[in-house]
Amino acid sequence: MTGFADERQMAGFKDFYQFSAPTRVIAGRDLLASAGFEFAKEGARRVLLVSDAVIRATGLVDRVAEGVTDGGLELAAIFDAVPQDSDGAVVAQIAALARETGADSFLALGGGSVMDSAKVANLLFTHGGSAREWEGYYGLPRADDGAGRALELAPLACIPTTAGTGSEVSFAAVIKDREAHVKYQIGDFALIPRLAILDPAATLTLPPALAASTGMDAMTHAIEGYVSRDWNAHADAYALHALALIHANLERAVHSPADESARGNMLIAASLAIVPTTSGALGIAHSLSHPCGALYDVPHGVANAINLPGTIEYNAAGGDDIAARYRDLAELLGLESAGEVGQTLADHIRGLVVSLGLPTRLSQVGVTEAGIPALVEGAMGDACTLVNPRVPTAEDLAELYRRAL
Amino acid sequence: MTYFKDDQEVYQYLGQLFLDLLADEELAPKFRAANTIVQYCYHNPESQITVKLMAAQEGQVDLGPTRLEPEVVMTMDADTAHRFWLGKVNVTVALARGQIKAKGPVAKILRLVPLTKPVFPRYKAQLQAAGRGDLAEV
Repeated sequence: MTGFADERQMAGFKDFYQFSAPTRVIAGRDLLASAGFEFAKEGARRVLLVSDAVIRATGLVDRVAEGVTDGGLELAAIFDAVPQDSDGAVVAQIAALARETGADSFLALGGGSVMDSAKVANLLFTHGGSAREWEGYYGLPRADDGAGRALELAPLACIPTTAGTGSEVSFAAVIKDREAHVKYQIGDFALIPRLAILDPAATLTLPPALAASTGMDAMTHAIEGYVSRDWNAHADAYALHALALIHANLERAVHSPADESARGNMLIAASLAIVPTTSGALGIAHSLSHPCGALYDVPHGVANAINLPGTIEYNAAGGDDIAARYRDLAELLGLESAGEVGQTLADHIRGLVVSLGLPTRLSQVGVTEAGIPALVEGAMGDACTLVNPRVPTAEDLAELYRRAL
Repeated sequence: MTYFKDDQEVYQYLGQLFLDLLADEELAPKFRAANTIVQYCYHNPESQITVKLMAAQEGQVDLGPTRLEPEVVMTMDADTAHRFWLGKVNVTVALARGQIKAKGPVAKILRLVPLTKPVFPRYKAQLQAAGRGDLAEV
């Protein structure tokens, strides 16, 4: 096996795959009050609650803090200053606060930035160093001279307030380097949170535009996860059910924010959709979107919503084996695909993006044609490009950006 | 039984491959576009190759001790490296299985992976020309 284009395995029994989804998930209504009761089962005793100012203003932080102490745990401190894109300085502050206040565990309440900050702060709290020093994949300390099990971090629980990143069950964290204008990843099994609490009450104050963009992030995870060259049978089950839930609930969750059922199902969908990525299953919609965020501050979900349709058309034209997997998704969505399945699916997603009220062109979110070379540079170097079903050239990616402008 | 008996064999074959790549007028500029210094730390046998890939600068390959300060460190068995250059290793799988450990801005190196495919036959031919066709059969 080599992992190159002419030897991809898009069907059948694969030469190799690895699957892991160890997070204990509890989902349902009125769970915020039992945050402490549930977190105690994961070994937490004295909790650092990590959130941001926007979430604090909604009253959610106080409700969860009460839930922590009601469950018999101590609240060491609350850190509520995580910015939209967290950075190395912020996670160092959180880790330092945990040490100063004698915390032994982390509870993240927020969106992707908050959860990723808590993950990396937990890493620094447990193993020391700076965030940038840990950049890379599968590089956390392991037993047996690095050959054994990844050493455990302190207990981490997540309560997502957006339904998109899936960070509450994922093995990766993304941190921004503000000086270099890049986002870097740290990924390893030890970063996977021990507990995820999915309660729609945590997303009811989420504005429709954010529900839309984060929902499109989840949809992109599901679609790219299913069609990646690193797809696998276990992850397929997650991706397909996630897509079915998104199809049934995303528009309702956006247009009817008080629809607790739709908001709750989107939380579940997001946590399912991210799971294939732990097996490495993603693709170039993400590669195209990451530099849009790093260079133009385009929200990740918005960038994915714009880049996903063109990616589908490009990939589906790359071979019948790839198109066959897109056909599975089109059928699940109830689309007639007598012609080009890539076109059919891409058009459906473009229509959905319009219906959600999101931008449909990169030029609407500040990206310029002059910026394409730098964007291509970032996208070519993105790890997601390696697992895309079709191997793109730099010119292919430039053309995808141009079409999306 | 490992492919290479000692560090000198690692440098003779894998090291020479890096030297040849950076002397190639077509490939070298593409690799130097990574704009980083990468160090390959090999086990079994213990050995180390450090490669300077900086745009608009001469490439540099240090076999063994070096004064270069690596930005990216890739750690693996020398056998894994050998099999990679013969086109027998899927990098993402090797990372996931822990056969390759990557530290630093790994994306700078991963972007080079698609460029390596044309190099596979070159490495095989290099081994055969050196009378080590046995190493080419893995």
